Amino acid sequence: MHIVNELYEKFKAKFEGVNGECYRVAQTGDLGDLMSDILTQKGVKTLSIFESPLSQAANLKEKLSKAGFEVHTDNLLATTAVDDAGITEVKWGIAELGTLVQIAPEVDNRLCSTLVPIHLALLKTSSILPELDDMLATIHSLPEIPSFVGFMSGPSRSSDIERTLEIGVHGPEQVIVILVDE
Amino acid sequence: MANNELKKEISNALENNVLRGALGRFAQAYPIAREKAFTGYDFEALRNKVQEVKSFAANNIDEMMDQFERNATARGSKVFRAANAQEANDYVKKVAESHNVKRIVKSKSMASEEILLNEALREDGIDVQETDLGEFIIALAGHHPSHMVLPAIHLTKEQVADLFTDYTKKKNDPVISYLVKTARTAMRKKFLEADMGISGANMAIAETGTLMMMTNEGNARLTSTIPKVHVYIVGIEKIIPKFMDASYILKTLPRNGTAQNITTYVSMYTGVTEAYLADGSKGTKDFHIVLLDNGRRNMLKDEKFKQIFNCVRCAACINVCPAFQLVGGHVYGGHAYTGGIGTLLTAFLTSEKTANKVQNLCLQCGKCKEVCAGKLDIPEMILELRNRNAAESGLPFTQKFALDVVSNRKLFHSMLRIASVAQKPFTRGQQVIRHLPMFLSGLTEGRSLPAVAEKPFRDIFPTIRQDVKNPKGTIALYAGCLLDFIYPKIGMGVIASLNEAGYKVIFPKEQSCCGAPATYMGDKENALKSAILNVEGLNSEKVDYVVSACPTCTHALKEYKDLLKDNPEMLKKAEDLDSKVFDFSKLITMLGGLDDKGDGEPLKVTYHDSCHLKRKLGVYQEQRDLLTNTNGVELIEMNESDRCCGFAGSYSIKFPEISGPILDRKIQNIVETGAEVVAVDCPGCLMQIAGGLDQTNHKIKVKHTAELLLEKRKNQQE
Ligand code: SF4
Ligand code: SF4
Repeated sequence: MHIVNELYEKFKAKFEGVNGECYRVAQTGDLGDLMSDILTQKGVKTLSIFESPLSQAANLKEKLSKAGFEVHTDNLLATTAVDDAGITEVKWGIAELGTLVQIAPEVDNRLCSTLVPIHLALLKTSSILPELDDMLATIHSLPEIPSFVGFMSGPSRSSDIERTLEIGVHGPEQVIVILVDE
Repeated sequence: MANNELKKEISNALENNVLRGALGRFAQAYPIAREKAFTGYDFEALRNKVQEVKSFAANNIDEMMDQFERNATARGSKVFRAANAQEANDYVKKVAESHNVKRIVKSKSMASEEILLNEALREDGIDVQETDLGEFIIALAGHHPSHMVLPAIHLTKEQVADLFTDYTKKKNDPVISYLVKTARTAMRKKFLEADMGISGANMAIAETGTLMMMTNEGNARLTSTIPKVHVYIVGIEKIIPKFMDASYILKTLPRNGTAQNITTYVSMYTGVTEAYLADGSKGTKDFHIVLLDNGRRNMLKDEKFKQIFNCVRCAACINVCPAFQLVGGHVYGGHAYTGGIGTLLTAFLTSEKTANKVQNLCLQCGKCKEVCAGKLDIPEMILELRNRNAAESGLPFTQKFALDVVSNRKLFHSMLRIASVAQKPFTRGQQVIRHLPMFLSGLTEGRSLPAVAEKPFRDIFPTIRQDVKNPKGTIALYAGCLLDFIYPKIGMGVIASLNEAGYKVIFPKEQSCCGAPATYMGDKENALKSAILNVEGLNSEKVDYVVSACPTCTHALKEYKDLLKDNPEMLKKAEDLDSKVFDFSKLITMLGGLDDKGDGEPLKVTYHDSCHLKRKLGVYQEQRDLLTNTNGVELIEMNESDRCCGFAGSYSIKFPEISGPILDRKIQNIVETGAEVVAVDCPGCLMQIAGGLDQTNHKIKVKHTAELLLEKRKNQQE
């Protein structure tokens, strides 16, 4: 647990350094309420969920619908183009860089983390790896390299106009990660 | 002289205050941000690895391409090898046609700009949309990119607002965050409507058939996620052998290019992925990879240029280039590639003619080499372009004539003696010439020129008394033109120090111009002539060391062995010379430094590093130690001490409009230190900086380290 905490602290600092927001819960059961709070506070009304083990274990679809959000889980090309937020589970985090790593051969998984203005990612705290090289070695050791692996380090950005850093270009404008200990 | 068209481009760029402001601010901020990003990482070790894996791939390119193709194909990608632009464009058109494509979204791909793919597709009536913010802006403006990673750096927010107002038919205010929103909204529609995506890749991994892309805006992810057909255009130099090799590039490229620890997105595509089809159902994307040669194999076949394959396109070299910082990318003329590395890429990939013209912009300062992620020797390759160009088409008459004169010792020296007398009307008895008549006036724009000394060093030498009891050995002094004819006092300082170290100094009279002017203008013939004259004239076998107080000369003397490699007898002598020649500060330090510690009079000194001394000869600490060990000297480091002063030999004559502003910045850095004296180890820098200080009426003096040491000790003796 000590190592996990250390990695978490490092990850959090780096992730916030690239303009991400980081939360942590002990139990899957705590996810629904926290998310509902975050989404409300950000003014979100509609959202898409790309279902995953964590989202299902936390029963997010039902809980968030009950909390009054309009929740979509299919036909995501149409919904992510208009929804206020998208929720996906990512596979790993890299503490060295504050990076979220998704394995996303499914098109909906990618849309739900790219096309929406707010991306909310779920990640197991124990899946934070120390360094980039650990991450590459882990991907490399899979039976085959997944057809899509995406690293995401905070919201999209550009300095193309007068070299001024602007957050939120074509990809999400806000990226939030909730780490789940359980 | 430099081409007129190029001159015009330069003056346009220099008049563009937006560009100069943006580039100038960037140039200030970049080195600091970059250093911070590399804190805790061993840049040297990382770039050695980049060089290793990239050159391995280059040396085994056929095997690498086969491997990549096999592995990518096994995962459902369709790989096409395009020998040239035409083949690549035709293939993409064919793919588009087979899917009845009407609308294409693109994320940044320099290779596609190189082959003018957009133009080719538009011929077929296809709507092609650049989605990268900067690329979108310049496409609206009808411009080419002005920087490798910041393509629209030459435009202001006001100009962007006007372009967006025209495009959206709605008023856009010049507020950057709103402008970015406008682009987001406009592109969103394009992404959703597109039936095909086109992008480039940063790496193609042979071992796994994976493509990796590093981006920030998210447009590349959308481009490759939404449309049902996708084509990657990948130059064959992007291939690296193993998946794990990506680590080195992932660690260096973003830190070097934009001072980021990692780009916001790193996307890895291995074979086909899932996509939405036209009918709304999910299926498999039609996934094409074009491996583009288009001149790259010629690069690879050429021993001098194959190292270009090690380039990862991070743009660090451009970020630190003093010439680029002033004129920006458009002056480099290529429609895809800019700056020093761009000059080389342009030569092989788009237009040799353009490259031959713009290679002149390189000051040969070597700054780019220090930061290059692939360890490319850009100045060396640019010099090679220059040589080949001069060998092929010859030098312009005036340049050739000047070099012929300089390489003819007797003629050159008698001309300088005549000049010493003839300059009188312009110097009015002063040490500098402020104004020259008519066509020569460009030479004195923004700086004064030194007057030719009344008596050259070679005439003074026999009158110098050398009091060395039981000399430890003999050192031959190589003066070089500037020391001999303009700054003889430096020579006296060198002799005094070496005498104090216990050595006797001789002056071999047959020595001649070192040949650097010819070398840097691409005139091999005259460079060779100089090499022979000096190798024989200096006869280094007879002495313990050869000393020079000009790093450009020292470096030239050391390189004679390359020029004379086909002449075994001369080569032996040249190698002996190479092993014995040292720059003044280095040699004095090697011989144990100076005992006599100076007069103790307080003197604030700042130090300017000459490009050649620091980067070619690796000497930067020795002279600082000599100075700080002198009683009374307080050394105050200036900002950017190793940034070029703009002299660069004939460069300041060819491009006074670029050399001038580079000098201005140097002067500003000097003035800010509050020093009374700026010490240098190169007579060329001395001439340039003294000229700049004189024109701006600053009281600060410029002195060669040898001269300063002499003065500090002379006072004590009196
Ligand atoms: S050597 Fe200097 S002037 Fe030439 S490309 Fe490199 S940085 Fe630019
Ligand atoms: S030449 Fe070197 S510094 Fe320049 S873009 Fe290529 S790798 Fe980067």
